[in-house]
Amino acid sequence: MTFLEYAWLVPIIPLAAFIIVGLFGNRTPEGGGYIAIAGAAAAFVLSLLVGYEFFTGSGDPFIMETAWLKLNDEITLNFGIYIDNLSVLMMLFASFISTLIFIYSVGYMSKEDEKKQRYYAEVSLFLTAMLGLVMASNFLEMFIFWEIVGVCSYLLIGFWSFKHPEGDDAQDDAASAAKKAFLVTRMGDVCLMGGLFVFLFAFKSLDYQVLFNAAKIATVNPDMIALGSILVFGGVIGKSAQFPLHDWLPDAMAGPTTVSALIHAATMVKAGVYLVARSYPLFVQSADVMLVVAIVGGFTAIFAASMALNNMNLKRVLAYSTLSQLGYMVLALGAGGYVMAIGLQSGDVFATEGYTAGVFHMMNHAFFKALLFLGAGSVIFAVGSEDMRQMGGLGKKMRVTSVTMLIGALSIAGIPLFAGFWSKDLVLAAVIDANAAGGGGVFILLFIMGVVTALMTAFYMFRLWYMTFRGEEGEASKRCAGESPRTMTSPLMVLAALALFSGFFILVGFNDLLTFSFVGGSFVVGGHGTGAIDLLVHLAESPYTYLSIVVAVLGIYLAYRMYKVKDVDPGRFNADGESKPYKLLQKRYYFPQFYNAIAMKFAHPLAMAVNYFDREAVDGTVNGIAGTIVNGSEGLRKTQDGQVHTYATVVVGGVVLLAALLFIAVYLSGGL
Amino acid sequence: MIPISFFLVLSAAIFVLGAYGVMTKKNGLVVLMSIEMMLNSANINLVAFSGFLNDVSGQVFVLVVAAVAAAEVAVGIAILLNLFKSTNTTDVSEINILRW
Repeated sequence: MTFLEYAWLVPIIPLAAFIIVGLFGNRTPEGGGYIAIAGAAAAFVLSLLVGYEFFTGSGDPFIMETAWLKLNDEITLNFGIYIDNLSVLMMLFASFISTLIFIYSVGYMSKEDEKKQRYYAEVSLFLTAMLGLVMASNFLEMFIFWEIVGVCSYLLIGFWSFKHPEGDDAQDDAASAAKKAFLVTRMGDVCLMGGLFVFLFAFKSLDYQVLFNAAKIATVNPDMIALGSILVFGGVIGKSAQFPLHDWLPDAMAGPTTVSALIHAATMVKAGVYLVARSYPLFVQSADVMLVVAIVGGFTAIFAASMALNNMNLKRVLAYSTLSQLGYMVLALGAGGYVMAIGLQSGDVFATEGYTAGVFHMMNHAFFKALLFLGAGSVIFAVGSEDMRQMGGLGKKMRVTSVTMLIGALSIAGIPLFAGFWSKDLVLAAVIDANAAGGGGVFILLFIMGVVTALMTAFYMFRLWYMTFRGEEGEASKRCAGESPRTMTSPLMVLAALALFSGFFILVGFNDLLTFSFVGGSFVVGGHGTGAIDLLVHLAESPYTYLSIVVAVLGIYLAYRMYKVKDVDPGRFNADGESKPYKLLQKRYYFPQFYNAIAMKFAHPLAMAVNYFDREAVDGTVNGIAGTIVNGSEGLRKTQDGQVHTYATVVVGGVVLLAALLFIAVYLSGGL
Repeated sequence: MIPISFFLVLSAAIFVLGAYGVMTKKNGLVVLMSIEMMLNSANINLVAFSGFLNDVSGQVFVLVVAAVAAAEVAVGIAILLNLFKSTNTTDVSEINILRW
């Protein structure tokens, strides 16, 4: 009995749940919620078994695939599964967090009545696609699932576009936010598809196995790989909401909070980071590509964190925080890849810490950000508002929520021993390492940006926490009738435990699973990592570790003075919300306006021109031909006038004509 | 012996007369008669060639054609009779309901 051979069942189980719930959900209790939970839990258990068997095995990637499309003698597209440490990790945390969030949904979505069926069907489909995405054995299959998660994201952001608890404006918001998310990510997806074409052209295959084969890579023009990689990274920018395609994610908060937690924090937006990690063997072929990756990530981190500083919407703050943390992950992968790219050229570095840092931060972030979003959901569920100015003093009424959120906030701020501390310090360490490898000072700048981001993160998280749970009761807080139901608080407690302890995984051999190295002429995921003790020593010796701790504590202290003790008036720094920088942040650096302007100036005239061409040229031709035929036949049918004489005449005329033709033919061919 | 061309000219003349009748005459009965003329012109041809070639099968064909013509006239007259009952006319130019 080997579970690995049944690993393809992992995405099939939620798919079955999707079909059952989609068809019969409302005839079962909770609109099919329990079926969705069972599907996700079964997928998690099977993932655990698969993971156990994989880790106790040889460690080589497990591949099972079948030919799908045979394009020509050279190119065959396959369909199958590819399991290595990275996919196992992704499978485990995607199915685990989904299970918790589905359980939480039973409480959070309890007021939705017959729309529950739609909700649970869509989230089950999402889980199917997410698991398929991480298990795919080639880029094309990955791309298909990549698009399905995009569709699920679209559907779930627009979940309240028909009936929103807060009325009509919010409905329009949900609909346009869904559209925006779909269209903006589409721009990235077009790049990604272009990248796949480049790879297909260069490698004559899209299988990971073929593409990641070092000997095969050496035969391909490096410029083609760099072009393909940068195009694939375009897809990552869209899906993981990196600058400049970041603006859809804050708007996506119009969806239910559970969706924000599941799709827009813990799993789907990680697909982009996953894709970079997955394509590492190709990305590390070019140091320039990795430099671009690192710069985009680092810039997104600080850029997004700044917008979280003064936002008053509970969920929006968390959304910007997600953007910024995704930036950290991309930064870590870029910096690590840069080291490796330079090292591969000179032939002396064959492993990278950045990969470990990025993937580790991805896992930890999934736990603490899901926790924070679910905590926010619990608050919103209790008070019916997302505006933090109307909250306050909820700590006494919602003890579990406030304590678990405090753990999440400490974790993301990077307080030692909490999960976020380990991975964030690894990210910053990776950036320092990259500077040693080169980059001409860019990495010093990126490191400073990372540290400033850490300061901002600690500040805005505790601003959020103090504004929500401490201080005087706001208008909305008075509506709070106490703690949320058990189905909502128990996932919070599980996630809080993980946000506390998941950092320690790195000390029990986890970092050995998350490494990326070039050994014996091939790229290997897992193994050959730094030992746990070395890592601890490295962290303890590095002055940068203490710098980031100091910065985090400073951020928390600032928030404490401003929003708890209130002896520092935040209004002093921004002229009571009238100063230019304050407005700049509030308007999101005018990015939505910028997008709209582009759309109105360029896209709209272009669309009008295309529309004109379509109506006049394409439709005109088609309609013209059809019209001519219709009019012509209108005339022709008049010849059938019902007169026997006419018919007889036509017949005789025809015979005469045929005879004449026959004579001519005989005459021309020289007689009988 | 009468040359074969005489028969052929006679046959062609009768055929053309018949065709002219079909195309111009308004009375349905006359049209039917004109059709008979055309059929019989063809019969003349068959008989003439039969004699000319000393082959009796041409005469057999004539018998077949005569039988078919009789049947056709029977059906044609029956149709005309019914038309006359419902429209009170045998003028084929007035009977034009089967058109666009």
